[in-house]
Amino acid sequence: MTDTTNHLGTTLQAFLDGRLAAARRSEVEAHLGKCPQCRRQLEALRWVRDVALKRLPGEDVPPALAGRVAAALDAAQERSRPAASLTRRRRWAKWAGAGALLAAAVLALLLVLLPRTNLPDAVARDFTEYGGGRLALDVRSSDGAAVESLFARGGIGFPTRVFDLGMMQYRLTGGLLHRLRDRPSALFAYRGPAGRDLVCQMYEGWLGDLPRTDDVREHNGIIFQVYRTRGLTLVFWQEGAVVCVLASDAESEAVIQLAYAKAVKV
Amino acid sequence: MSSGEAPEGEGKRELFEGTALPFMRVLYNIALRLTHEPQDAADLVQETFLRAYRTFANFQPGTNCKAWLFTILYSIFVNQYRRAKRQPRMASIEELEERFRHFAQAPGDTASDVTTVEGWGWRWSPEVERALRQLPEDFRSPLLLVDVEGLSYEEAASVLGCAVGTVGSRLFRGRKLLFAMLQEYARQDGYDTGSSMDR
Repeated sequence: MTDTTNHLGTTLQAFLDGRLAAARRSEVEAHLGKCPQCRRQLEALRWVRDVALKRLPGEDVPPALAGRVAAALDAAQERSRPAASLTRRRRWAKWAGAGALLAAAVLALLLVLLPRTNLPDAVARDFTEYGGGRLALDVRSSDGAAVESLFARGGIGFPTRVFDLGMMQYRLTGGLLHRLRDRPSALFAYRGPAGRDLVCQMYEGWLGDLPRTDDVREHNGIIFQVYRTRGLTLVFWQEGAVVCVLASDAESEAVIQLAYAKAVKV
Repeated sequence: MSSGEAPEGEGKRELFEGTALPFMRVLYNIALRLTHEPQDAADLVQETFLRAYRTFANFQPGTNCKAWLFTILYSIFVNQYRRAKRQPRMASIEELEERFRHFAQAPGDTASDVTTVEGWGWRWSPEVERALRQLPEDFRSPLLLVDVEGLSYEEAASVLGCAVGTVGSRLFRGRKLLFAMLQEYARQDGYDTGSSMDR
């Protein structure tokens, strides 16, 4: 008995990956209902696709690589310029560079004087306040629906998704109608393995409002901006007009993977 | 940019940095899984970005930038790295496919709703990484592109320069081979504990 003679063979995979027309799909479902061998093959394929290959570790980019790429692009950019205008462009670049430095200094000063623009710091402080018992939850519940109901009743004017992280050993502890800087924020918290806290916030805004970070990642078409501060990892991503952020003092990659697992492309 | 309004100079650089560079980590990881060497992977990524920058006018805004970068990376890999790479050691493909058939024919059944990441817990697995490294590249690349990076069959076919049907058949064989290699790990992990998975 082989894969192809009496059983579904590659059709199983087309079924698994949603590449069959409705009629053929029904035929496959009927076959699966009476063929344990094809069912076992299907589940094995599904295990590889949905479990095994989702457990691959992600390696960080070597620190020097970004610099090497930038230098290579500089060289390519330089080569592509017409020779006649090179001197003029260099002169302009010199002034532009000085201007950029000045602008950066002014911006840095503004950031110091106006810390309100730095949302990651605010999120990190909220995490610390929560962990220290100085930020009390409005509702203490492990029921996601109860916490979402709090947000709806409390006038949070955008859709919220309280994640179920039970399978990742994070248990919901409750929610809070919060303000992140001056924005209404839906804050909900979890208690994870080894007593680690995880705090999620959702607020209306844009990733572009955040300060620059060197750690920008992409997963399943979603961009994640990662910040590390005071031993915490903060992962921001966009869902429609809402920004979601996870903050925790758990292992950094683990926090990022939680975000990958729960982010939804809108 | 295919509209003929390709920016030049600083505008092009800025657009490229905003569009392509966020994929550096993704590219580095796939390069690492193709070359197995961090230095080769870094060189491959650098060359990919350089070539992508030079041909940025060919990229159509609104299309999948990651898939476009993979196409460039894979082309460089095939031309510069694949020829030199050593063959990984693994059981023969026929032996592994026989092992998979044997598994499917064994008594017992699996529940169909447990094989999700959440249902199976969630942790890193060096075992999976090791098994993937041993897979022949023809099977490993479709798995990386479709199952790990989430490309469609069509996008993966474009990256690999092959027919969509070829992606499907290599993916099918790759998944079976990987399962056969990981059978013991799967069993230790709680998969199909009620039935025989003897080789």
